[in-house]
Amino acid sequence: MISLIGFFSLCLSTIFCIIVLIPYSILKINIKYLLFIFRSSTFLVCISFVSLIFAYVTSDFSNFNVFQNSHSDKPLIYKITGSWGNHEGSILLWVCMISIYGFLYSIFSKSLNNFKITVLKIQSALFLIFAFFIIFTSNPFLVNSVLVEEGLGLNPILQDPALAIHPPMLYLGYVGFSLVFSLAIASLLKKNSHQIWIIEIRKWSMISWGFLTAGIALGSYWAYYELGWGGWWFWDPVENISLMPWIAGLALVHSLLMIRGEQAIEKWIVFLAILCFSLCILGTFLVRSGILTSVHSFASDASRGLFILLIFFVTTGFGFLVFLIKSPSKKNDLHLLLINKTSALIINNILMIIAVLTILLGTIYPIIVEVLTNTRVSVGGPYFNSTVLPILLPGFLLMSIAPALSWQTNKIKKFKLYVMCFLILSAVVLLQSYLTDFNPWGFIGLILGLWIIFASILSIVLRYKFSITIKYIKTINSFIAHIGVGVMIIGITVSSIYQKEFNFNITVGEEVIIDNEILKFKEIKLIDEKNYQSLRAVFSLEKKDTILSYIEAGKNYYPVSKTITTEAGIYHDWFKDVYITLGSENNNVWFIRVYLNPLVSFIWIGVIIMLFSSIIAVIKK
Amino acid sequence: MDWSYYNAIFKHNSSDKKMKKIFLILPLFLLTTMCLFFLLFILLNKDPNDPPSALLNKDMPIFSSTNLYNDDENLISNKLKGKYTLVNFFASWCTPCRAEHHLFFEIKKLQPQLYILGFSHKDDPSDSKKYLEEEGNPYSFVGLDQDGKIAFEFGVFGLPETFIINDKGKIIFKHTGPLTKEIIDNEISKLF
Repeated sequence: MISLIGFFSLCLSTIFCIIVLIPYSILKINIKYLLFIFRSSTFLVCISFVSLIFAYVTSDFSNFNVFQNSHSDKPLIYKITGSWGNHEGSILLWVCMISIYGFLYSIFSKSLNNFKITVLKIQSALFLIFAFFIIFTSNPFLVNSVLVEEGLGLNPILQDPALAIHPPMLYLGYVGFSLVFSLAIASLLKKNSHQIWIIEIRKWSMISWGFLTAGIALGSYWAYYELGWGGWWFWDPVENISLMPWIAGLALVHSLLMIRGEQAIEKWIVFLAILCFSLCILGTFLVRSGILTSVHSFASDASRGLFILLIFFVTTGFGFLVFLIKSPSKKNDLHLLLINKTSALIINNILMIIAVLTILLGTIYPIIVEVLTNTRVSVGGPYFNSTVLPILLPGFLLMSIAPALSWQTNKIKKFKLYVMCFLILSAVVLLQSYLTDFNPWGFIGLILGLWIIFASILSIVLRYKFSITIKYIKTINSFIAHIGVGVMIIGITVSSIYQKEFNFNITVGEEVIIDNEILKFKEIKLIDEKNYQSLRAVFSLEKKDTILSYIEAGKNYYPVSKTITTEAGIYHDWFKDVYITLGSENNNVWFIRVYLNPLVSFIWIGVIIMLFSSIIAVIKK
Repeated sequence: MDWSYYNAIFKHNSSDKKMKKIFLILPLFLLTTMCLFFLLFILLNKDPNDPPSALLNKDMPIFSSTNLYNDDENLISNKLKGKYTLVNFFASWCTPCRAEHHLFFEIKKLQPQLYILGFSHKDDPSDSKKYLEEEGNPYSFVGLDQDGKIAFEFGVFGLPETFIINDKGKIIFKHTGPLTKEIIDNEISKLF
């Protein structure tokens, strides 16, 4: 019953969107009514999604989707999140968000009605494409042809708070770029003289980028403590394809700054906006069609893959075609100097686009090779580390001073002071790394990170008078964002280069020494939870006879899906994480692996600073 | 250094417009090439993940089961070697099973030498008997799987589920959910 309501409202909202798309020359509807129709379509698609959630909450196994992905023993929160933890539900969420973004735009936009309607029409067209995709290939409201009393359960590895909100966050980011795309295309179709659309595109791309950042960070935080591999980024194809729109979005957000100076590179902005959303759909295609192997194993189906490929081709092709035919003709003379803000931003953009292309190549290379030569290759960490990082290095160096550059002149205020500080800092870091074990990458990363933080703070202190107002924070916002990046770079560098790994075979009661601390194996606990059994090895971390913390590492066994997940035990400190995974047992001797990850917390702190700054950027003055 | 000099050079270049066009077409070109590769990849059916069932093309699991109609009669999986066998899991409480049931008579007609083995899955024997009285009994042998152990060995996903095992004891076909006429015509009949 509830599934029927869900499906019916989905279809109705699709029909409403078709009405919105009918050209004005055929169907003369007042703009007020057109907006009303669009908004009711949003309302209906939300009802549709809520009814799917309702079916999950009530464990309605007559719905095939619920049967396959839920189980009545699951905690309520994971029943709810289960509704988007599968292919069909997540695409419904995607469609729902396309509509909601259009809805919010229709309320908050200050554009002329004419322009607004064009944007909403493009948004409706996107909605329509994906709605058809749901209705024809991945309907979450199918009736179960197998009679059952119990569901098959959600992938237990996904039963995790960080991962429960990771897909919606990521989708809010991805789908946000659909509105950016619509705005860009509308700006090409309606050559309106005023520039409101640039301000709007700046706002919406900032919002989308913020959500994307949060989504990616949550995903990698999850990978850090759930997969038990001791790392947080694996250059997994699914991670890469979320990183590509992120970098492109970053380029977009930065190039939109240029209108603060004298010139807007409209063409470039429009291109980036189209590219961003294309990369988002490409990501969906590669994940959902299942043509990439990765830790994210989704059900794959050739017809679905073809359909999304078609969506990807049509949408992106349409975007670039409009871009080709109606490309903005306005002549912009860029005020380029050797080092002014404009040229710094252009270099930044070029580097980011090269980085995106490099990642793209590495990600789809296995597909190309397999088609051409029928051999299977995999491109992993080494390729990305040795190609993407060097590309980004000059960008990192540039970003430390870029916000302090001027638009108009070649000069930097107090240039000598900056140079002096940089030299002193380099000398200190060099000395430090020379005295400990020297590692070129560690050295470069540390210098860059510290220098970015240092230079940004220096610029803030030198250039702006301190006051506690939002206006002040907004003026130094770009420096804040860059400090976040600096903190993150330090975290990434130190945690990946100075990570230490220890392996032990240990029995209960034994203790081992890790650097300065003692790790004691206290006991083994077996607990029956509601929908799983947990096995925990309890360790105590001691330093000079005082217990710092207890660490519980172990495994969960989910009887419904007969899977075992590892639960890494992590002791968080500001300066290091002690990360323990429990291996197999043999005659009461347990195999454990201990990682000492220094400064991992800096990565998350950096992300939080970046997020904070993106929120500040969206808030009105 | 001032870059306006270079700007001027770029601007007065006569091939400027052509270059611009090429730049604008480039994304479309790249897109098409990429999509072509994806298309080929999908059409050539290069699925990097596992085949549909982990058991497909593997040896059938070892089991032994009692006859529904005769407690003393046992069937051991080894005895099935040397002939093609269809294994079907059903239960009286399973409505979709009723939907596919008549098709087994058709399969029997098409492939008289096929050994059709039914497992009454997590079902009361008396209910199963009643079910077979109502719907007819197409099975060469009806085995009991009251605790679901055999279904577990086969990796049964939901009822009904059907497997076909070849004369060497390898699983060559698997279908979850009710069979249809199309599946029999298009897939099953090609196996022999």
